[in-house]
Amino acid sequence: MDTLVRSILDWSEVWSLGIPLAVLAWKGTQPGVNKPVVYYLYFALFINLCIDLIWKFRTMIPEPYNGNNYLYNVHSIVRFLLFSIYFIRLQQPFLVRIKKLLVLAFLLFVVINFAFFEHFFNYRLLSSRLLSVEAIFLLFYTLQYYLFMLQVDEGISTNRSDFWVASGLGIYVAVNFFIFLLYNKLTTDLLNFAVIIWNVHNISYIILNLFLAKAFYEAKR
Amino acid sequence: MKPNDDIAFLTMMGIAAMLLLFVGFLLVFIFMQRKKMGYQKSIQALRETQQNQLIEAAVRSEEEERHRIAEALHDEVGAILSSAKLHFQDIKEDNLDAQTRKRYKKGEELLGEAVIKIRDISHNLHSSILKEFGLNEAISHFMTKLTKDGMIQSTVSFDDHAPARTTANDMSIYRLVQELINNIIKHARAANINIRTFPTGDSFNLTIFHDGKGLSQQQYEELRFKKEGLGLKTIQNRIISLKGEIAFSQEPNGYYIRLHIPSI
Repeated sequence: MDTLVRSILDWSEVWSLGIPLAVLAWKGTQPGVNKPVVYYLYFALFINLCIDLIWKFRTMIPEPYNGNNYLYNVHSIVRFLLFSIYFIRLQQPFLVRIKKLLVLAFLLFVVINFAFFEHFFNYRLLSSRLLSVEAIFLLFYTLQYYLFMLQVDEGISTNRSDFWVASGLGIYVAVNFFIFLLYNKLTTDLLNFAVIIWNVHNISYIILNLFLAKAFYEAKR
Repeated sequence: MKPNDDIAFLTMMGIAAMLLLFVGFLLVFIFMQRKKMGYQKSIQALRETQQNQLIEAAVRSEEEERHRIAEALHDEVGAILSSAKLHFQDIKEDNLDAQTRKRYKKGEELLGEAVIKIRDISHNLHSSILKEFGLNEAISHFMTKLTKDGMIQSTVSFDDHAPARTTANDMSIYRLVQELINNIIKHARAANINIRTFPTGDSFNLTIFHDGKGLSQQQYEELRFKKEGLGLKTIQNRIISLKGEIAFSQEPNGYYIRLHIPSI
């Protein structure tokens, strides 16, 4: 039973993406504004499948290529770019310049960080710095979304697709900020705890996907 | 506590704090938005109430004005014309030559016509039949007057089991029917008009059928906001003041207008 639960959680980064993708297949094409989220799901499905396959078959893959941590860096950069595009394309007339500057700031950070401080293709460690900065920036996008929605008279937000995207993403990055920030330290000093705490990440990822599924459903209702 | 335990504790506390903060923020957002929507709804309801009160006042003052004009026409102009006619009848025809007699006859005829017209206008403005015999009889009488020249065929059928309506709404319903029928004659050019009333519980339902070129619900919704569609605006104002509903529909045999007026 324990093994089954562990397997379900280990593979949750792959199968949970099937929930919004199933809604997408059921409800048909999404409105243009949701396109970055749709692209993210297809990309995440591919990269998470690679991550989990490398993890499952790590004993059969030669060193140092049996590490999947650099794929988390790729995932993080693509996720940030697609969700920032999503929030910019919502065309909310609120902090417009800051939202665009944030993308440039993130790209600048990525270049400087991996040019001078960290190695991007580090097979042993994911970049705690990259993932935690991404989480904080995405948290800013979600919070500014709520602040803008309080200013406008556009009806109850729970009927809106963008509310579910912002909320799902907000919960995911809020939960994972400290996991990402301390993960490198945890994997070196407390490996067992790091493995356990990654389950919290996986559960929050399932929640994110449930919210994205709801967003797709609301968009077509 | 070992340093490693500190990190684990810090991680757990960090996750819990961030989650609590975000969920708290989300709940405050939802609460504030609901509160704002509730406030907007109450403002909207207040606005609608004020608008309905204005419409009711306008309809009531229009009715009072009609009543005043009807009384003035009937009691003053009508009385003067009747008196003039009496004086006219006192003139001895035998003393008149053929030409003057002809003019006298024409004058008497015109005076008689004026008396009848004034009485009709006065009754139209303020239906005494409605007051004395009720809504059904007033609608019947109105339709009979309209169709007496034979250009339009009409039938009026009322539910005999229904009690004769004598409510404060009768005058508004009567005016509504008058306005609708006038529109049908003026714009739809119908040859046949059928009116049927049937009560459902305490509410009042009336269906008007005609075979002219009528309106669909969509056309009605579009036209009632146009300036030139003043008749439709008046109809809508009366419907609002009666808190009723009106539905226009096109069916294979012709057009239907369905009125539903809830009990007061």
